[in-house]
Amino acid sequence: MKHESNDQTKWLCDKCQRELELAKVKVRYMEGNFEVDLMKCPTCNQVFIDEALALGKMKEVEEGLEDK
Amino acid sequence: MNLDKLLETGDRCIHKEPPTCTAQCPVHLEIIDFLSEIEKGNFQNAYKLMEKKMPFHNIIGRICDHPCEAPCERSKAGGSIRISDLEKAVLEYGAYKPKKVWPLPKNKGKVAIIGGGLSGLTTAIDLDKKGYSVTIFEKTNRLGGRLWDFVGESMTEELLQQEMKAIADKKITIHFDATVDQKRLAELLTEYDAVYLGTAAWEEPIEANPVTFQVGDSTLFVGGQLLNKSDSVILSASSGRRAAISIERYLSKVSLTDSRDREGVFETPLQFDITSKKPLLPIEKTAAIYSREEAIEEAQRCVKCQCRKCIEGCVHLRKFEMSPDAYIRQINHSERIILGTHYANKMINSCAECGLCKEECFLDISMNDVIHETRESMVQRGKMPVSAHDFALKDMAFSNSSRFSLVRKQPSKEESKDLFYYPLISFSDYVKGLYKGTGKTEYLFYPGCQLPASYPDDIKSIYEYLVGHVKGDVGIYLGCCGAPADWAGQQGLMNENIEAIKKVWTEMEQPTFILACSSCIRIFEKYLPEIKVESLWDIYVREGLPNKDHIKIPQTLSIHDACGTRENSDLHESVRKIVAKLGYGIEELEYTKEKTKCCGYGGLVYYANREQSNAFVSERIGESENDLLVYCAMCKDLFVSGGKRTYHLLDLIYPKDEGESATRKMPTLSERHQNRSRVKQILLKEIWREEPLEGVMEDNFTLIIPEDVKKNIEDRYILMEDIQAVLKNAEAKNERFCNPDTGEYLAKLRRDNVTFWVKYEKEEESFLIKSVYSHRMEILEEDGNSGGTK
Repeated sequence: MKHESNDQTKWLCDKCQRELELAKVKVRYMEGNFEVDLMKCPTCNQVFIDEALALGKMKEVEEGLEDK
Repeated sequence: MNLDKLLETGDRCIHKEPPTCTAQCPVHLEIIDFLSEIEKGNFQNAYKLMEKKMPFHNIIGRICDHPCEAPCERSKAGGSIRISDLEKAVLEYGAYKPKKVWPLPKNKGKVAIIGGGLSGLTTAIDLDKKGYSVTIFEKTNRLGGRLWDFVGESMTEELLQQEMKAIADKKITIHFDATVDQKRLAELLTEYDAVYLGTAAWEEPIEANPVTFQVGDSTLFVGGQLLNKSDSVILSASSGRRAAISIERYLSKVSLTDSRDREGVFETPLQFDITSKKPLLPIEKTAAIYSREEAIEEAQRCVKCQCRKCIEGCVHLRKFEMSPDAYIRQINHSERIILGTHYANKMINSCAECGLCKEECFLDISMNDVIHETRESMVQRGKMPVSAHDFALKDMAFSNSSRFSLVRKQPSKEESKDLFYYPLISFSDYVKGLYKGTGKTEYLFYPGCQLPASYPDDIKSIYEYLVGHVKGDVGIYLGCCGAPADWAGQQGLMNENIEAIKKVWTEMEQPTFILACSSCIRIFEKYLPEIKVESLWDIYVREGLPNKDHIKIPQTLSIHDACGTRENSDLHESVRKIVAKLGYGIEELEYTKEKTKCCGYGGLVYYANREQSNAFVSERIGESENDLLVYCAMCKDLFVSGGKRTYHLLDLIYPKDEGESATRKMPTLSERHQNRSRVKQILLKEIWREEPLEGVMEDNFTLIIPEDVKKNIEDRYILMEDIQAVLKNAEAKNERFCNPDTGEYLAKLRRDNVTFWVKYEKEEESFLIKSVYSHRMEILEEDGNSGGTK
């Protein structure tokens, strides 16, 4: 589920004013646990998910798990 | 879920059953396929089908006594298809040279055939093909028996000679002028592994098994005219073929009787309703044999009998290309999967559970019940996709929360005494009703959740009407009946809800419920039979309509009955009486009353598969040029959103000044919540004169939302309160991302099991919303927090 969207490099963490970095992030849905590369704030760890990712790959994986 | 019972239901479905023509054909020519090929001009393919099923197709195709034709369903609409004439045409235009078949070594056994007529020759050829050493004993000096009697225009002597020669050319031993009598038969029975007796007559009566044609448990098998007691050629050929099957089974030492119930002529369970087909007369031949064009035209008259009644009525079955038998097989498969993907989930959640399938079915097979039971099983096994019904179930929880739910007795006489003055007491039915109050709640008005969401301004008027018109005190009960839980297969939640309703009913001393929503009516009938219910529409008919000044634009309306009321014919009549009384004409739809269709909301298909829901909407609204009249809030909202002018009965009974009610847009999901809360506030304030306990308007940000974003918000089942919560959290804690180039912010918040994201720009005091989306997957940020609260 690795994801780098075109415009995310421009985004900063508003709280920490840091640039986002690609890092391994744990995600969970139902019985599925994965590690994926996502952009996040290196200081406060908040993870950035854009619309294309949420409604694209993420939704696809969610639906796949729901039908398991 | 009892899967054996499920499969039995699937087996009852007659969709896959053969048409009567094929069932009545002793050799089961696949007549629908045969005619389809002719229709396409593929005479050679049609010929192949004859070759496959018909012994001596070049002969029988010309002289067959066609028992297929008389029972043809087309006979009730113009005249039977001329199958026999079409066979002759196919032999003329589709014949090709037979392929050379390499004979099998004859090592499977020795069989004697007595009688070289049609049935004996059929047995001989079939067994020869299978590798038996066959010897024919024919009493005359030529093969064919009574086939020679048929020589004439259709079948020439030359053709028959050619066909008989082909047999003689095979490695079959033929003894001509060989008379077999009882004594010779006894010898043959010892010399051969099996004997087939296919003579037209025999010295003494012979009893054979009607299925296997075996005489006792001997090696003697019988067929042809001797067995059939009929001169039908096709029956003779069929009996020869069946005897060959028996002989082979006997000599291979396998069961003679297994799976033979549909050999020969049988009654098909298929039922077919031809009433909707336009009668078409048979195409007459202009010569002895149909021309190609005539044959094609005649074949086109075939209605291809197949039971598709449920499929024709149901856009869900059609969208998934499913007949009940196939659907049930998929459910069975899905229920048995242990590891792997449940591909049928989406389909199972796309049924509106409206029940039209059962209504249409000759055998009352209810896919509605099957699918409902499947959903319950999926929930029990933890296999129901959460996203399918999550929003609807949350909406139900909202309706049963303090933000909407309310139970009140009629305001007492004591509380209302300030209203008892002239002229109010003389002219207001409502005040008169209050004045007659006894303190005992005879009725409880239960408007449901969707009617108040769509018609917030009418609930108070209806309540006042009821107090003023029905005998006895009328209380109110706001809440959700549980229809979403029922549709979602959530039995636990459903039972809880039912218990809660029962508790109120008991505490109120068992009043009659007055229901205004068709789904509530269905749910009360199904789960709460002990509670007496009356429909609001029945009460309007009985007590008279509330307003005198209805809109009087003479117009003809088509009534769309709510699918939840399918079996409630009294209700259908009440609605029609009201419409007529209001001065409108009525034109019934083809699918109406007990055969009504679903609007596209039922079964929560609206949430589980929007595309399927849209298909329901567009099919239904395309069925009439007239404006529609409905009496379920969701039907109205869906039809209007599909672009159809639609009135709800309340639009006519309580006409509004503002705007055109037939095109009034459906409230958004957020507005539905707000409207319900507003109904509660209005009732508390204006009927019970109580101060609202909690403010309707919360401390909210001012949002500017462009139309395209609004549409996305609706389509993604996101509420304004979700957006407000994201913004509140972002603004308070700076938990958001910012884009210095554009000045945009992107904030998120997890609420319950969903993470909501809002992209926005701040414009002075307000927020310009750029996009809103959500996901269910949980992001585990390193401190173990999933990025939200609730």
